Amino acid sequence: MKIQSNGHTLRASGIAELSAANANSVRDETRQAFGQGHRNIEVDLSQTAAVDSCGLGALVALHKTAAAHGGVLRLINPTPPVQQILELTRMHRIFEVIKE
Amino acid sequence: MLDSGASRPAALRFALPCDLSHVRHASQAVHQFLVEQGCGEDILTACDLALVEACNNAIQYAPEPARTRSVVVEAIWQPDRLEIRVTDHTPGFDWPEKIDLPAPESESGRGLFLIQSLMDSAVYLRGPGENTLVLRKSLSDEGRKQGNQPRIENDQLISGLLDEITSCYESLSAIFRYSADPGHTRDLKKFAHRLLSDLAGVVSAEWFVFRKANAQSHIDVLTASESALDMGSIDFRGGNNDANFLEAQAAISRKIIWFDENSPVAAADPIRLKARARGLVYPVFVNDELLGTLAIGKNGKSASAGQPIFTNSQANAIGAFAQFLALQIINVRMQEAHTVNRISARELEIAGTIQRSLLLKELPSLPGFELAAFCRSADQVGGDFYDVLKLNDDTALFVIADVMGKGVLAAMFAAILRAVLRATPELNREPAALLARVNRLLFDELSGVDMFITAQLVFVDAKARKLIVGNAGHCPLLIADASGVKSLSPEGMPLGILPDTEFMSETVDLPEHCRVLLYTDGLTEATNAAGERFGQERLMEWLNHTRGPAGELQNNLNNRISEFQFRSGLNDDQTFLIITG
Repeated sequence: MKIQSNGHTLRASGIAELSAANANSVRDETRQAFGQGHRNIEVDLSQTAAVDSCGLGALVALHKTAAAHGGVLRLINPTPPVQQILELTRMHRIFEVIKE
Repeated sequence: MLDSGASRPAALRFALPCDLSHVRHASQAVHQFLVEQGCGEDILTACDLALVEACNNAIQYAPEPARTRSVVVEAIWQPDRLEIRVTDHTPGFDWPEKIDLPAPESESGRGLFLIQSLMDSAVYLRGPGENTLVLRKSLSDEGRKQGNQPRIENDQLISGLLDEITSCYESLSAIFRYSADPGHTRDLKKFAHRLLSDLAGVVSAEWFVFRKANAQSHIDVLTASESALDMGSIDFRGGNNDANFLEAQAAISRKIIWFDENSPVAAADPIRLKARARGLVYPVFVNDELLGTLAIGKNGKSASAGQPIFTNSQANAIGAFAQFLALQIINVRMQEAHTVNRISARELEIAGTIQRSLLLKELPSLPGFELAAFCRSADQVGGDFYDVLKLNDDTALFVIADVMGKGVLAAMFAAILRAVLRATPELNREPAALLARVNRLLFDELSGVDMFITAQLVFVDAKARKLIVGNAGHCPLLIADASGVKSLSPEGMPLGILPDTEFMSETVDLPEHCRVLLYTDGLTEATNAAGERFGQERLMEWLNHTRGPAGELQNNLNNRISEFQFRSGLNDDQTFLIITG
């Protein structure tokens, strides 16, 4: 996973899957990088083949982190299976989903 | 005609280490298998995710000792449907009847929702030590990408499944047979013997011993397949060698202990009585309480090396029977407890009868005065009682007492106290001397059972309009008249505390329109919803400001107290006597 900072926004990318095995570490590493001046979190899901309920939990946690600092969580280019799960669990209405 | 094979199911079965990092491999393996069967994209995606969620649960909720055990994943592809089974070793959970999405801000709770949404059906079968989640998806024509020929594979698995179904059926039908037999637990030994003999038949065992746990430290034989195995008690918590016995090990470790002719068995272990025995010991726990152990097995050498003594399904059947027997043991225990309850209910009934018989049916009359009395018990039987002894036309002795404790004993002491007071007419005009006498008479009996009595005796002379009060550790006497209210509490210990103790008395005049109140502490200790006590101050205030004949005052006070404790309820006996005149 790669984490880049761009102004008020922190972007996590290169996530092959977001599942029970790594959800906590994705969440914790991103939160650790989230510093002063950051408001928004973007998670690039273009390389993410799969997401499970634990992965969704991590996204909700990051959403809360951003919201607590007046920002938003944006999901970038989710792959079709990920998009499907977001819709199934209605999470696409909570998060900003962006197709770049 | 023999089956052509074209409609026979294909199956995949593998063990998954209890570690989240392996879930992805499991999902890939099942994915690959489904692709080979010609599974369509949509179903593939759904199964991938449902399987991941099922495996996550099986691994995340496995307790530490079960982490060494694999999660078993099976996928069975049939012409019209696909089934995925995940067998876990967690304590299991109740599958909710309705699964909704959690609140959007919740970070967990979406797994079961996903499984349910993605699959056509999800059934969670719970068993002793392991549970199986069965997920099904029906295969329409779109489900199969092409008219793919299902592969003929893994006959062994299918025969295993058949074997399991057969033994499940046998276990279930045997258990239903016993459940339908209502009187069966009256003789637990016989019942257990019959049940376990049937079990031995179902799993092809040659012998069994069921030991029942006793005080969580002993396991004693309840029944055994042969009398030779009925070998006394195993004290598995004692500092002795018993703890090394196989049955004790199972009870202590809470794990199934498997053994065969090569296992080390302690020299004195009762299982040694079966030469070259092989089998297992199943510890039976219900709600974390050890109910007993079931040792069951065969004799002699195994047919071939590596072949298990019991198949998984046989071991499951053994567990199911043992758990069922445990429930019957609990049933018997509950029936016994019920009998004990019935006895104590009978005891309370007797005590209630005694207490009611002590209360006067009618208060005597005293010229120029009105009398009223009230007695209410918190439980069926309390220790409060009152009495009024008419001595002659103008005089009477009023008694109010509270025997510490409840039930038959308290009621009996109340009866004795009443009898002693009535049998001592020469002292009825001298409350202090009477209390000293009663204390001497009852001391041995009361202190022998660690009970005591608080009592107040009030002698009233209506003609002379005076009153003498003696008190044995009881609440004060309250007297109100036009000038205000006062409390009288001459010194004195409760009855039954010291063998020889002195009691004081106090004599006062009874002015016109006076109101006298004798009461027990249930009145002042009445508690309202805020936890406040009614207290003596409120009681004195009430008496000071409430006028009227005794009967009216009684109703008024009763209402006042009921109102006060409206929300908290009665927690102690409440008794009082009112004299007005």
